[in-house]
Order: sequence, then structure tokens, then C-alpha cells
Amino acid sequence: MESGFGLKIREKRKTLGLTQAEVARSVGISTSYFNLIERGKRSIGGALLLRIARALDLDPAALDDDAERRLVTELTETAADPLLSGLDLDAAAVPALVGRHPAWARALALLHRECRDRGEVISAMSDRLSQDPFLSDVVHRMLTTIAGIRSTAEILDSVDDLEATQSRRFRANLAVESTRLSEAAQALADFFDRSEAPKQAITPGEEVDDFIIAHGNHFPALEEGTARLRARLGANAAGGTAALAAALASRKDVAEGNHRPLSAPRRARAGYRDGGYRDAGYRDAGHGEDALWDGDGTVSEAGRRFAMARHAVLHDLKDTIDDLVENAPQLISEEARQRVVSVLASYGAAALLFPYDPFLEDAERLRYDIGLMRRRYQASFEQICQRLVSLRRPGAGGVPFAMLRVDPAGNLSKRFPLPRLPMPRHGAACPLWAVYRAFQTPGPVVRQLVELPAGDRFLFVARVVRKGVDSFAMPARQLSVAIVCNAQYADRLVYGDGLDLSGRARAEPVGVSCRVCPRADCQHRAEDPIVPT
Amino acid sequence: MATRLLIAEDEASILESLVFILGREGYDIVTARDGEGALQQLQADGAVRLLILDVMLPRVNGFEVLRAVRGDAALAPLRVLMLTAKGQARDRQMADQMGADAFIAKPFSNQDVVREVRRLVAP
Repeated sequence: MESGFGLKIREKRKTLGLTQAEVARSVGISTSYFNLIERGKRSIGGALLLRIARALDLDPAALDDDAERRLVTELTETAADPLLSGLDLDAAAVPALVGRHPAWARALALLHRECRDRGEVISAMSDRLSQDPFLSDVVHRMLTTIAGIRSTAEILDSVDDLEATQSRRFRANLAVESTRLSEAAQALADFFDRSEAPKQAITPGEEVDDFIIAHGNHFPALEEGTARLRARLGANAAGGTAALAAALASRKDVAEGNHRPLSAPRRARAGYRDGGYRDAGYRDAGHGEDALWDGDGTVSEAGRRFAMARHAVLHDLKDTIDDLVENAPQLISEEARQRVVSVLASYGAAALLFPYDPFLEDAERLRYDIGLMRRRYQASFEQICQRLVSLRRPGAGGVPFAMLRVDPAGNLSKRFPLPRLPMPRHGAACPLWAVYRAFQTPGPVVRQLVELPAGDRFLFVARVVRKGVDSFAMPARQLSVAIVCNAQYADRLVYGDGLDLSGRARAEPVGVSCRVCPRADCQHRAEDPIVPT
Repeated sequence: MATRLLIAEDEASILESLVFILGREGYDIVTARDGEGALQQLQADGAVRLLILDVMLPRVNGFEVLRAVRGDAALAPLRVLMLTAKGQARDRQMADQMGADAFIAKPFSNQDVVREVRRLVAP
């Protein structure tokens, strides 16, 4: 197996005119081990990756190409598609394909996504058609009427000695049945008019992921734009979140918008979408963000502020957001573009409320204690996590975090991966991840040191949050939110305290998702692996 | 004596056409507009040789009529031709299992009906 990762190392080494032995010696490993790395037989991360990158003057980010890794996972899954089973595709050849012909690999992945989308749409439509009582009734009515018309017309056409009264009678029947047929056809046309929906991609989530990953979850234009907006509002960082909130609330559009639902067209323009992103929507201001677990769960101040900030961003930085969306080659479907508008509005709101430099400084000083950050910024757990994940300014970044949010059924509704910690594209992640375990003890923060099959270690920090109004008829939504960092950063986090972070210490063995997990003896396995172990 | 057929069909224009084309073939035709009427006629009139039975009949539907017919020893010689809507594969399968002798899918051609009736009542 040859990986793109190994290829890059080899190509760069050759360009520099170095031998394997020379590079291996300079990074302190054996030539044979280095040879395995170049041939993609060993995957590496952490310190060794950084040493090799340094030795070859390569950008570590370029080496640890998460987009490429995602593509490999996606194509490996594609190879397992029953549609292709006759072709005997060698899944082990995927990394080489991705490494050598990245554009072709992306094309294959895109086509497969599209193919899957279409398949889903077709089966949904076919279910709809075979089960819809109205359709079955109207089709039956049409067939019956046509039967009458056909039979009558045949008589009129083929019987020469028809009496005048009979002929009149049959012609009258024709007229009646034709009218009934028209009515049935009209009813059918109305039905399809009503049920006609714009083509909806099933995988806009993946386009959104690709977009965020391509930007490293950092948008300088929005950081600068929100800094200007903050200055215009007359609230500087020293004034704190409360001052900014007061400045926002004094703005007519923001304050009014806060109490009035957006009209449908405005919601559409603002990128809101019923269902998926409702919790981020302005209409839910004050109810949408998570309340303290033991609070009364009705109105959260943090949620109200965030919604106001989001509104101001959508209003004042519309051009910046449009620019980002329009110039994104990753966004193919309209659905994905709309979602990205919503994602960027939330990003902007976080950047407005939690300005980059002081926020990063506080995070480092408070050792990423989310509880203390919440108090400092009067924000929700999820808002703090989301901002932490975006602290990626080149040269002035915080601890690199992944983030994910799941519901009790395991559905991933927010995901931002890290290099070497891919998030499953569909279905659930590894059931052993703390993000799921947090549901067992809602309230306190759950931490977990894990080791992935390839040997990479990560620290999970997860907590259950509650969204929405809690009523007996419709209980509040419970979601588990987690941030994850590479274990090499754990000592910068309060959550790493007391953990043995040495390489020899025990870490919980976990996977990414069952379909790509090689741990054959795991008793938590829910699905067979795609590639036999 | 002409062979007697019972046509059970609630759609007026289909019924009228069937009565006309089969009447021209020399059959003696009686009609019913719903399932209940069809069963009453069959029980009262032992001379009916063939029942042309629509599936979607008011009151007692075609399947229930068929079930009653096949459960009545006195009606054992009766042949049954069912009219089903095209594409209703499940209807046909069910009619087959319940003992119908033949099916014709709507919309049908008159010639098909005539041919099928001739076949079913042939001695």
C-alpha cells in the first residue's frame, strides 16, 4: 500500500537529494522504519511527524492532509458498494490512487455521492408512490374511466349498425367519462405540484465539512469584519460581553428582530432551514441555546446574546459571508450553500462576542477550563467549545481541537475533524467515545484518554447540554457536545490534570466507526468492518 | 338457450359497454351494481354460468364476493372473470389465490373481453 502521505515524503526527499538513511538518521529512526513510512506501511503522527516535516522542510499540515485521508476513507467505502462487488476492487490500492491522481479520486468520490443521493431519492419517491393512498385512488379512478372511454369508443368505431339512440347514449357516455378523466388528471397534476420539492442533496453535510476543513475552521475575513463591527458598536474588549450585548440590544433591527419571528423569505435569505439548523435560528432567540443543566431551562441569556450577535453579523457582514460562499468550490448544492451561510453567521457571532486575542489569552491562562471560560464570557458550553475550535490563526493558534455534537440516537449534528481523527461521514462514530458516554452522566464534564487503532492518542472532553423549552409534552432536547485534542496538548488543558500522559500509560482503545475499525475483538462492535481485518 | 352471464360493475359506462358487446354475442345478460346485489342474484338464479366481477365494488367488494362464491358448494360450477386495474399485481395475485378463473386488466379492449368470455363458457 502506498499512501499520498508517503509519496509526499518521498518526493520531497528526492527533490532535496537526500537518501532514506540520511533522513532516518536525522529524525532518529531506523532506515527500514523510514522506508515503511514512505511506502505507507506505517502511519505516524505527533512528534515524529513534526520531526520528519522539519527535516524535509515540509509544512506538517500538508503532510497530515486530513482532506486526503477523508477521501481515502470515502473511496474505501465506495469500493465496498455492492454495485461494484463484481469488479473485485482492491481497497488497499485506494491510498495510492488518492496520492497519485487526487483529481480523479475526487471525481470518483463525487460521482459516488451523487449516485447514492439519486438512489435515496428514487427509493423515497418509490415508497411515496406505492404507499400514498391519494395516488393509488386517483390512479384507480383514471384507469376505470379510461376503461369506460376505451370500451365505448371501440363500440362507436367498430359497430356499423348502431341504432341512433344507442349511438347517442354511447356518445353521451364518452362525454361524461372524458370529463371525469380530466378531473382525475387535474387532481393528479395538483398533487405533483404540491409535492414538488427542489432537488435536495442528501449529502450537503459533506460539502459543508469539506468547506470548513479547507479553511481550517478559521475565517480571517470574518475575524476582521467582526472586529470592525465591534468597534462600530462602540464596545471594546475591555467592556466585556455584557457591554457588547447592551450595544447590540440598543440597535433597532437587532432588538426588534429578537422578539419577532423572521418571515419565511427573510429566513431563507439568512440561510435558516427548518429542522437542521433551527436551534441556531433567530426565531429561537432566547430559547435555542443550551441552558445550565440544573437551571430551569427556559430563557438563557447566553442564547439570547448569541442570537443577537448572529443577527448583527448576518446584517452587517452579509457581503463577507456571500463572498466566502460564492468563492467556495466545495459547495455544489444550494442546500450546502445555505447551511454554510448559517455556519458562518454562527462563526461571526462567536467572533463578535468572543474576540480572538483576549479569548485565546484567557483560554491559555485558564487552561481551557470551559466552566471558567463560560463564567468569564457569560456563554454556553457549546458556544465556548465552538470558539475554541476556531482559534486557528496561523502563527497564533490555540490548542487544535476537533468538535462534535450528537443526539441520544447517535446522530452527528456538528462535526469538525482533526488530522488523524476523522469523523464518520454517516452513521455513528465509535460507541466508546466519551461524547456518547456523557449521556450516562448528564451534568458533569466527562474526560477520556483514548488510543485509535493507528496508535494516535486523543483527549475527549464531553458534556450533555439541553436545548429548548422543557415541557411534559415535548421534553427539551439533550445533546452531547465534545471537543477533542491530540494527547500531546493534554498538559495544556485542565482536563489533562492527573492523567498519566506518557506513551506507556494505558489509554482506552477505541476506533473511529465500526465500518473502518480493525479491532476484531471489540465487544462494542455494531457493524462488520468494510475491509476484513 | 343462451348462456347467462352476470356482470357486477358499478361504473355505468363500462357496464353499458359490456352489456352491449356481450349482448351482441348472443349472451343472456343480467347485471348488478354492487357486491351485495351480485351475491343475491347468484343465490336466486342458478342459471348464471359466468360472473364478470369488478374488484372495487361498493358495499361488498369483489374479493368478498369471490370468497363467498368459492365457499358455496352450490356455486361450484360458476366461472369467475375478474376485472382488475392495470398494475395492481397484488390484486391479481390475491384473486388467483382465491380461485378466480381469469383476469382482465382495465383499461381493456372489447375484443379481449369477448375472447375471454367465450373461452370460459365453452363447453
